Amino acid sequence: MGAEVITVSTDTKFVQLAWQREEKMLENVKYPMGADPTGKLARMFGVYDEETGLALRGTFIISPEGKLLNSEVNFYNMGRNIDELMRKFKANIHLAKHTAEGCPSKWKEEGDKTLAPSAKMVGKVYEAYEGK
Amino acid sequence: MSENCCYLQVGQDVPDFKLDTFEPTKGDFGEISLEALKAKKKWTILFFYPAAFTFV
Repeated sequence: MGAEVITVSTDTKFVQLAWQREEKMLENVKYPMGADPTGKLARMFGVYDEETGLALRGTFIISPEGKLLNSEVNFYNMGRNIDELMRKFKANIHLAKHTAEGCPSKWKEEGDKTLAPSAKMVGKVYEAYEGK
Repeated sequence: MSENCCYLQVGQDVPDFKLDTFEPTKGDFGEISLEALKAKKKWTILFFYPAAFTFV
């Protein structure tokens, strides 16, 4: 999909190897599994839980220039929606090429309506969005 | 809990970082750095999870 996806936990790379080999559900995993045993990276992104030494379920999108563009953190007991991650990723790609535009909440993929913020649109977002 | 004074915010530049990795496609260990990904003009998605041997 044109991005380097790195899964990260506070386990060592040895544990990750063992897990990937043991767990049938991970048979097809092809992403590099990053080891952050000291929690340094998890702390940088604010997802390190000092009580448990574990990383919360955080997802972060970083541009090719190294800028943090999206951040989502869930508690341990809630999984993430990959469709929403893909939506954000595609929107970032679009916005990188069309810097004057904004992707509204309903934007899903290339070709969907975007908005170009302007003085004219203030108070008229509905009309701009519906093309009225 | 530590204070929330120093976490990265959206819009900020991410400082370079390096991670040891296990690469399932190669069946081998490796290393990844933001610097190298930037050099390759790659988008990066970091996907933190609590622990191996738990559900993802």
